[in-house]
This record gives sequence, C-alpha cells and structure tokens, in this order.
Amino acid sequence: MIDFLAAAIRIATPLLLAALGGILSERAGVFAVGLEGMMLMGAFASIVGAWAAHSALAGVLLALVGGATIGVVIAIVTVRFRADNMVTGLTANILAAGLTSYLLRALAGGGRPIAIHLTPLPPWPIPKLDQIPVVGPLLFSLPPLTYLAIVGCIGLHAFLLRTRTGLTLRATGENPEAAFASGAEPMRVRVLAVVACGAIAGLGGAVLSLQQVGTFTDGMTGGRGYLALASLIVARWNPIGAALACLAFGAAEAFELRLQGFGVPVSSYIVQMAPYVIALAVLAGLGRSSRMPASIGQPLQWD
Amino acid sequence: MTDTAPSAQDSWLAYVWPPRLRLANSMAGRVAAAAALSVALSALLVALSGHNPYAAFAAMLKGALGSPHQIGFALNRATPYLLAGSGVALCFRAGVINIGAEGQIALGGVGAAAVALHFPASLSALAVVSALAGGAVFGALWAGLATAIHLGRRVHEVLTTLLLNFVALLLVQQTLAGPLGQFGAGFLQSPELPRAAWLWKVPEFGAHVGFPIALVAAAALSFTVWRTPFGFSLRVAGSSRRAAAYAGFSAPAITWSVMLIAGALAGLAGGVEALGVQHRLIEGFSLGFGFKAVTVALLGALEPLAVAPAALFVGMLEAGAQSMQRQIGVPSALVVVIEGLTMLFVLAAMVRRA
Repeated sequence: MIDFLAAAIRIATPLLLAALGGILSERAGVFAVGLEGMMLMGAFASIVGAWAAHSALAGVLLALVGGATIGVVIAIVTVRFRADNMVTGLTANILAAGLTSYLLRALAGGGRPIAIHLTPLPPWPIPKLDQIPVVGPLLFSLPPLTYLAIVGCIGLHAFLLRTRTGLTLRATGENPEAAFASGAEPMRVRVLAVVACGAIAGLGGAVLSLQQVGTFTDGMTGGRGYLALASLIVARWNPIGAALACLAFGAAEAFELRLQGFGVPVSSYIVQMAPYVIALAVLAGLGRSSRMPASIGQPLQWD
Repeated sequence: MTDTAPSAQDSWLAYVWPPRLRLANSMAGRVAAAAALSVALSALLVALSGHNPYAAFAAMLKGALGSPHQIGFALNRATPYLLAGSGVALCFRAGVINIGAEGQIALGGVGAAAVALHFPASLSALAVVSALAGGAVFGALWAGLATAIHLGRRVHEVLTTLLLNFVALLLVQQTLAGPLGQFGAGFLQSPELPRAAWLWKVPEFGAHVGFPIALVAAAALSFTVWRTPFGFSLRVAGSSRRAAAYAGFSAPAITWSVMLIAGALAGLAGGVEALGVQHRLIEGFSLGFGFKAVTVALLGALEPLAVAPAALFVGMLEAGAQSMQRQIGVPSALVVVIEGLTMLFVLAAMVRRA
C-alpha cells in the first residue's frame, strides 16, 4: 500500500508542477495549452544543463530557463499579437517537440540522438521525520523537486489568495479593464504570468528527466502537459485541488502498473485510457458549474 | 482583412515592411513572409549546429523534387494533411477550435482497414469506396462524440477533442492487439489489406489517387464556405456568436455540421493513408498528422483551397528532410521546427481585433 501511494506521488509530481504553472497563467487570463511544450523544453534543458555543467542545480536552473523560453514565445504571440490561446499553445508544443528533438541530435553532430545518462536525483530524507511510520517514507523521504512541488503548491495558494500581487493577477484574469483602472498593467501581468508558468512547468519536466529517469528521450512528456491542464480545470484553478487531482491521476496510473504486475487479464491499452477518460468524465460532470476566469482567452485592448 | 491601408497597430509586419507594399498587407503576403522568416530562422539553427544551411536546403529541395518518385512521395505525404486540414479550416472559420483531427484520422484508418478486411469486395472500385466510406464514418463518429460532450456538457471543444485524441490512439492499439491484429507480427499491425482495396497509383511517380480526391474535397468546402447559405451562417458564427444568434442561426447546428464534416474528412485522410501508402494498419501510422492538419489550415489562412499549397509545402518539407538528413547529416526534426515557427509567425501575423 505504501509502495502504491509512493508511486502515485511520484507520478503526480511532474503533473502538479505543470498544473501550478498553468493555474498562474489561466488565473491571469491566458489558456495554458502550452504546458506540454514547456515541460518538454524543461526536461530537455535540465538534462543537457546537468550533463554539461556536471551539476544537478545547473540542470534545475536551466529547466526554469527552458520552460520560460516557451512561455516567452506564447506570451508574445498571444498577449502582444492577440492570437488564439489554444492554437498558439498547441503550436508552441509542436515547436518544443521539434526543437528538443533537433537539438538532441545536433549536439551529437549527426542524425543520431546524443546519449546522456545521469543518475536520477536521490531522495533527501529529512532526519527524524522520516522515521515516522507510513508518513515518514511517504512524505519525508522524497527527492528534492518533490518537496519543491509541495511547498510551491501551498505557496501558490497563499500567493493567489493572500497577497496584493495575487489579487492583481486574479483581477487581470477576471476583468482586465477593472485591473487597469485600479493601476495595474494587465498586459505586463499576463506576460509575466505566462513566463512564470513556463518556468514552473519546465521544472515539472525536470522532475521527469532529471529526477526520475536520468535521461531525455524524444517526446518524453507523452501528453502529461495536457493531463496537467485537465487536472487544473477539474480543480477549478485551485492549487490544493490541483494537487488532489494530480494525485488521483497518479493513483490511476499506479493502479494500472499494479494490474500489469499481477498479470490481471485486462488490456493495458484500455487501462491506459483511464486518466483521459476520467478527466473527460469529471469535466463533463462539472459541466456548467465549472466557472472559468471570466476574461480567459480574450485578447487585451492596447494602444 | 480589408484592403484599406492598415494603421501601425494592424500588423506587426508593418514595422519591418513598408505598409504601402500591398503584398505585406494581403493574407497571402503575410503567410509567405511568415514561412520565409521561419526558414531563415531555421537556417540559423542549421548554421549553429555546424552545417552549411545552403547545402542543407539544397539537399532538401532535391529530396522533395529530385525524381518522380520523390514528387510522388511528397504528394502522398500532403494528401492526409490537405484532407484533414481543410476540415480543420472549416471548423476554425466557424469558431470551433477542433484539434481532434489526430484521433479522427487514426480511427479513420481503423474504419477503412476494418471494412477492407471484413467485407472484402472483388471489384476494386467497390472495395476502395466502401473502405474509404468506413474511414469517413469512423472519423465522423469520433468527432461526433467530442461534439456531444462539448455541446451537451459545455466542456470546451479544445479539451474534448484533445483528450479524445489520446483515447483514440490507445483504441487503435487495442484493436490492433485484438480484432484487427496480425498475430506473431512482432509489433502492432493488421494483416495486409486485400489488393482490391489498394488505391490506384500513377506508375512511375507512386502517387496515389488520394491527392486529387483531397483537392476536390477542398474545392467543395471552399464553395460551401463562400457560395452557400450554410457557409454564410458559419462565417457569421465564426466572427461573432452574438451576431449569428441575432440573425437566427443555430450555433449548435453549425457546430455539429462543421465537426461532422471535419471528422469525416479526417477519417478519410486516415483511410487514404492506410489504403494508399501502408496497405495495412500500423500502430502510430498517423502520428502527428492531426497537428499537421492544424498547421496547414492556419498556413492556408483557413481558406480550404489555399490549404492545398500549404499541405504541399509541408509534404515537400518532409519528403526533403529525409534526404537532407541522409546526405548532409542535419537532423530531419528540423522540419518540425520550421513548421512550428511558421505557424507561430502566421498566428502573430493574423492580428485579431479585440
């Protein structure tokens, strides 16, 4: 059981970081369809950074930069040029897929991808606390980026609901004219929110590559960015709720791995559909009751 | 787009391109400029990776147009993009952001293969037509499912189409592991389809009959958009939902129609790929096709007929990329970078008025 929960937490971590970034972006009024590309870029940049600088910290920092780069691209095209959020996000995902795949091969100087294999980041047990039965191994013996995700989740919740800047950000997503009238600059808020979203989602990608696998492969995020997007909508743009939603997806996937392990005669393809079908079912269940930030996806007036 | 001279805010191109040049203000000019800019940027990328961009693009061009076989390859490559892309263009025109072509194409392949394998017809024309119809029906059904959830439960169509893509790809794998699969093949694929169901090919070029079919479909869509009452209603709905409601056009009816048409075309694209290129259903046979469809729809400025040159552009890029990688050693993934950049520039160039 502990193994199962630990697996759920492990699978949920990259999703959660991406979802946290997405909440920032969507609360400011920009759809976060580009999460997948931000994660992929972060996953790539962190591995290359850690490999080139022989330092995991360099990898983590570069993941922030890599994800933020995609954020900058999306911010410019959607906020400055008022393009459709959804299509732009999707396009940025294609660009990230192409760019990482190209650079991975260009680094080796030819048609073959360069092979980088690093040791995945080890857990950092917190002395004493990790001795508590059940809770200890589950919550106090985690790899570094997972702690960061948990702290970030609580931090984002406090930031959005308890700080002035958080209020400005939410106002920009609800009613940019009102935010402008009260002295905020909606355009700047949105650009910063999308770029920050990219950096955080990039960190989510680093969890996958740097912390869990130790290498980068083409398209390794495999749709997790879209699942993160679904989970933040299911959670109604609330960080704590997003953590629960990501854990639910993590549990579904961990359950699937279990079933395969026990040789249960259920097709793995059907079981793999579970996260997507659950996401659709929950979204459909919420239906009309799920209220988006009022001005999400709507371009800003500017002169 | 109006023909009046734009103010400075109208187009970012106006900053780098004198507004008096009509070319920069026309949609075609903007798209061409966007494509040129992205090719220039990717040339920079090639140079940075230590290769000669001129040699790389020369190899790419030769790979795309160097021989009849290569031309045929590019045409075949462009066919599913044109079919699915013109459907996507129709949806986007109506303000329905359908990004589910990926799944609709994949299931179209399943439908075509299932009909070809289970209802074999000895008469070739009958076999081909029935298999393609099977593909179109499966694609439309999948699009219909997304539409039903979208309209019935008010879930954004981007989310329903997107999430169903993943389900569709897994569904294809499931059918290949089960009812449609070939046992002992080593990987997920169907048995070879009966020869009667293969698409007819131009001998030396190897180009199958799919591209002309796609051209006819695009022309029909273009006519529908510009010359029929239905086309008018969907254009109104696309530019303003409230205006459409005021004029008495039913938004759900428009959404249903464009989604089903686009789904059928995407399914047809999957069928054409299975019957014309692979001659069987293979796992991942259409990977990325749906997103390419969005690319070419945007490149074609959402005008179904203009999607044809856009699809040819992408098809040629991909045909050329293989030989570029072989001869110069520049990774063929560069093509995806070019596509992504072109799309971003086009998106930025199609400035929306708030």
